[in-house]
Amino acid sequence: MSAEYIVLIIGYIFGFYMAWNIGANDVANSMASAVGANAITIRQAVFIAAVLNILGAVFIGSHVTNTIRKGIVSTQVLADPHLAMIGALSALLAAALWVSFATWKSLPVSTTHSIVGAMIGFGIMAGGFKVINWGKLGAVILSWIISPIFSLIIAFILFKIIVRFILSREQALTAAVRLSPLFIGSACFVVVLSFLFKTPLGKSLEMDASVSLALALAIAAGLGFLGKSLIHRFLVCRAKATVEEIFRRIQIGTSCYVALAQGANDVANAIGPLALIYFLVKTGNVGSKVPVPIFLLLFGGAGIACGIWMAGSRVMTTMGTKITTLTNTRGFSVDFAAATTVLLASKLGLPVSTTHAAVGGVMGVGIARGIEAVNFRIVLQIMIYWILTVPAAAVTSMLLFLILRLLI
Amino acid sequence: MRFPFRSMFLTSPFEGLQQHAEKVNECAWAFQQAIECYVSKQCQTFEELRQEVIRLEDEADSIKRRIRGHLPIGTLMPVSKFQLFRYLREQDGVLDAVEDTLDWLSYRPEPGIPTALEKDFLLLVDAVMDPIEELTKMVREARIYFKSYSASQRVKVKDIIRLLRQQEHEADKIEHVLKGRLFNMTIDPVSIFHLIRLAEIIGSIADHAENAGDMMRAMLAK
Repeated sequence: MSAEYIVLIIGYIFGFYMAWNIGANDVANSMASAVGANAITIRQAVFIAAVLNILGAVFIGSHVTNTIRKGIVSTQVLADPHLAMIGALSALLAAALWVSFATWKSLPVSTTHSIVGAMIGFGIMAGGFKVINWGKLGAVILSWIISPIFSLIIAFILFKIIVRFILSREQALTAAVRLSPLFIGSACFVVVLSFLFKTPLGKSLEMDASVSLALALAIAAGLGFLGKSLIHRFLVCRAKATVEEIFRRIQIGTSCYVALAQGANDVANAIGPLALIYFLVKTGNVGSKVPVPIFLLLFGGAGIACGIWMAGSRVMTTMGTKITTLTNTRGFSVDFAAATTVLLASKLGLPVSTTHAAVGGVMGVGIARGIEAVNFRIVLQIMIYWILTVPAAAVTSMLLFLILRLLI
Repeated sequence: MRFPFRSMFLTSPFEGLQQHAEKVNECAWAFQQAIECYVSKQCQTFEELRQEVIRLEDEADSIKRRIRGHLPIGTLMPVSKFQLFRYLREQDGVLDAVEDTLDWLSYRPEPGIPTALEKDFLLLVDAVMDPIEELTKMVREARIYFKSYSASQRVKVKDIIRLLRQQEHEADKIEHVLKGRLFNMTIDPVSIFHLIRLAEIIGSIADHAENAGDMMRAMLAK
């Protein structure tokens, strides 16, 4: 029993470390556009990101954890609780090692992909190649390609709409104010929807899909028009409004949106395997369905928040100086696209990378001729690294599994 | 740290374009001084001013190289890379023509410009100064346009382009009159050749500025 508790403690440590890493490195992807466009200060970004990552992790975060743990690797490997525990620990360690290595070498890898690769490695060791659900794995890998593209398309369309219906109008300001409820509302719509459909709290309300949709729509519309009236009151009436100024305010909202989505999506990377270990240690076996305790989500969220708190401002300072060509309208499009993609993907239970969604968003605005110079080739680099990440994390996880099996 | 997000953002070529335009503008002042000095016939500082122009041209050249060298394949910009390069070439052409003018003058320090033509030459130089100044303004306003995509800003840039075209036309007329008068003067053929060529080089400054404007118009096309 004591060995199991040691495993659990190590699991906590590395789970926290993974979460810390997500916070330290990936927060830049979500908040940088807002900081770069001067929508918020670094201090505010750190605060918003920390708080909302925790909220997102706790309230919207549970669904994805399941898929990473059970979707790709069949439950057969969990038949032997001891082996499963060792496997989960080695997966967590392998992912943590790979992420540390990537951070050290500045390689653009995703924590999501690392943990998926590591879980595959564990699955192969515990049950051979047959336990891997290749179809599901294929779907996951497809989602890695689709999510940046999806984000790219949203950002492209959104920015084109902004140019066409706001910026290039004679009365750009009036147009911006008139259309602001649409932008605010649609962001709220996705948030409310994912809250209603996914969270335990939302599910406990037991509403029909159509009722939920109607409710989300109503709330979104309400918040949209509230936002408009606030913009009208605080900007237009005080005669300091420009289009960018309006979007600056909206972007504060969308950066919250990104932070929330990030917390919801990425917390699973850190605590997915940890939840498995926790469950095995506490109950001794694994049922077909394993609930993720809220406090673990909170633990993961806190880990992310710690990472943001400790390294966030340094990372964002570096980013802020580099991303000076991003204005508020661009930043808004990027944020909106990334967060929507991530929330939708995490609603479908697909482990997508927040980073790559953000990259896709920037590309979309770039293609819409919104940024002075964007390097499209980074897409190739990213693809090379996710092709590398999965086998690398898998092999590391397999090796660790062999070692740990001898030790424990 | 590992963020692909950061490596996506390249240094903006428009930044360089603006710096380059400012160099052209800086040159303009030294150029005008040098010409006035040359015309005055008791010039001490001509060579100094010419060196100043050469130095600025050199700096502008390195800016130009920097822009061209730092746009890898797959760079997304509001304008096409080749439009940008064509534009840059014309803007650089302005500077080259300025330098060429001073070089051309330096080959023949004596006997200078005939007194009867002094006024015409100074007029021509004045006529090509305006386009140079407009060029800097155009780049600045265009950059604002590519950020804001505002219709009124676009009109502003287009107005500058139109102005450049008119200014080129004015300079052309002056050059035309000047050349006509030159051929009706009784001076030695070498002087005629020198002065005709001089008028042409000065005139080409405005031509390049106009071409730069036309390239800018192409970049503005929706």
